[in-house]
Amino acid sequence: MTETVMTQIQSTSAKAVTKKSKGFGFLVPVCSLLASVLLWEGIVRFFSVPVYILPPPSSIFHTAIAQHQYLLKHAISTSWAIFLGFVWAFAIGIPLATVMTFSASLRRAIYPLLIVAQVLPKVALAPLFIVWFGFGMFPKVVMTFLIALFPIVIDTLAGLSTVRPESLMLLRSMGATRWQSFWKVRLPTALPHIFSGLKIAMTFAVVGAIVAEFVASDSGLGYVLVDARANLDMVMVFAAIIWLIVLGFLFFLAVELAERLFVKGSSHRRSQELGAGL
Amino acid sequence: MSLVLAATNESALIDLRAVAKTYETDTGPVHALARVDLKIKRGEFVSLLGPSGCGKTTLMSLIAGLATPSEGEVRIDDMSIRSPYTNLGIVFQNAELLDWRTAIQNIMLQIEIRGLDVKTYLPIARKLLAQVGLKEFENKYPDELSGGMKQRVALCRALIHDPEILLMDEPFGALDAMTRDQMNADLQRIWMQSKKTAILVTHSIDEAVFMSDRVIVMSARPASVVEDLQIDLPRPRSLDVRDTPEFNEYTAHLRARFKALGVFSND
Repeated sequence: MTETVMTQIQSTSAKAVTKKSKGFGFLVPVCSLLASVLLWEGIVRFFSVPVYILPPPSSIFHTAIAQHQYLLKHAISTSWAIFLGFVWAFAIGIPLATVMTFSASLRRAIYPLLIVAQVLPKVALAPLFIVWFGFGMFPKVVMTFLIALFPIVIDTLAGLSTVRPESLMLLRSMGATRWQSFWKVRLPTALPHIFSGLKIAMTFAVVGAIVAEFVASDSGLGYVLVDARANLDMVMVFAAIIWLIVLGFLFFLAVELAERLFVKGSSHRRSQELGAGL
Repeated sequence: MSLVLAATNESALIDLRAVAKTYETDTGPVHALARVDLKIKRGEFVSLLGPSGCGKTTLMSLIAGLATPSEGEVRIDDMSIRSPYTNLGIVFQNAELLDWRTAIQNIMLQIEIRGLDVKTYLPIARKLLAQVGLKEFENKYPDELSGGMKQRVALCRALIHDPEILLMDEPFGALDAMTRDQMNADLQRIWMQSKKTAILVTHSIDEAVFMSDRVIVMSARPASVVEDLQIDLPRPRSLDVRDTPEFNEYTAHLRARFKALGVFSND
């Protein structure tokens, strides 16, 4: 009886694995992407659209590669802003959410501030940042931090409260300290939520860094965008956008990889489902 | 001195003295438990039987020291319980396995939290898994296990540190009838080997009679003990015992009792 159940389970899981590895599912999005680029190229050439309105993808890719030294220099500047802002948001957001989980009064004190900081259009702050922090890296990092903080805190907060009361009772019956309960059960339970927050925060962080560079910077891909547009160099605008897409994608991938490393078992699939909303 | 102590322990390992519990909620106080007196001997298998939501679980958390009584006193081994009593293992209705840990890692959580030596207990965990027929499954994650398998792992986790007391809160309530029968038989076997003092919270009359030395019948909320029924069926009991007239006499008696309490109002 148990034997048959075992083999059944093994065979179904084996089936699922072969199904997954056989799939050529990734070909479909690659094809649709290629098709849309070709369509774009065709339309621009067929209707002879002027380059300063919409350049053809071929010249955009050419510039994106030919000007790589210039673009790379600015991409590194933007990357630092994204990275530092995100790390700060992470380093402050997770403890903040933890404190808010355990203290109702602190939660009531911090929550409205957080909401205000979130609904306030951060772009409106950018000119102020010039006054306060001048040009350079610091205002960019502050902007990125402010934008990335909210999703991290909110999702960590939600994640830390998903733990089942029975799980905590079980831990107490083992004589666990509050710290052990947090470290062994509450935090790992929250991880899928935390990672879905981190993914959103990472995409926001890219936006935050670019917005800051639009307004108050003399370096970075955001600055390249503004500068090229002022010179009506549309090819460079689009080349910078291509670099931004690649940059954002790489940062997102980094979070995704970290997730695969830290989230195990079925909670991995759960976090994938949560992340599917993106 | 120690002889005298042993004698008193023999009389009652767990001693509930006029225990009552009232919860304060937003909508006013809820009387979960009304004055329960109960003594459980060392090595005894006792079932707490009653309708759902009657405060059986409350009683269990009071024994585990996870809640404190509003009135009265819980004593284990002649010590008053005011904080979590840790010389026990608990099995809940949902196995409460951690998704990100394999079967064996879930069992070893008990050892890690208690700060016991992992190397010493790893072979014991494997032995327990083999005893419940899950030898091949030690590296499986919970979502790769069936409901019955998860509960077996939870049982191993509750036993690995060799506790004095085993508490089970409707452990098989979410399982299908056939798996449940198998689990009952397995649990009896494991209990007879380990000789733990076991408390089983259940709302299945058959399960209570099959498993127990004593069935404590509880009324609806606020819960109190209505009857304390001794089950004198020889052990080991095979599943066939449920077809004997002696067994059915017990279950019929308990069913009549619940009917009188108004639990079954349909007929």
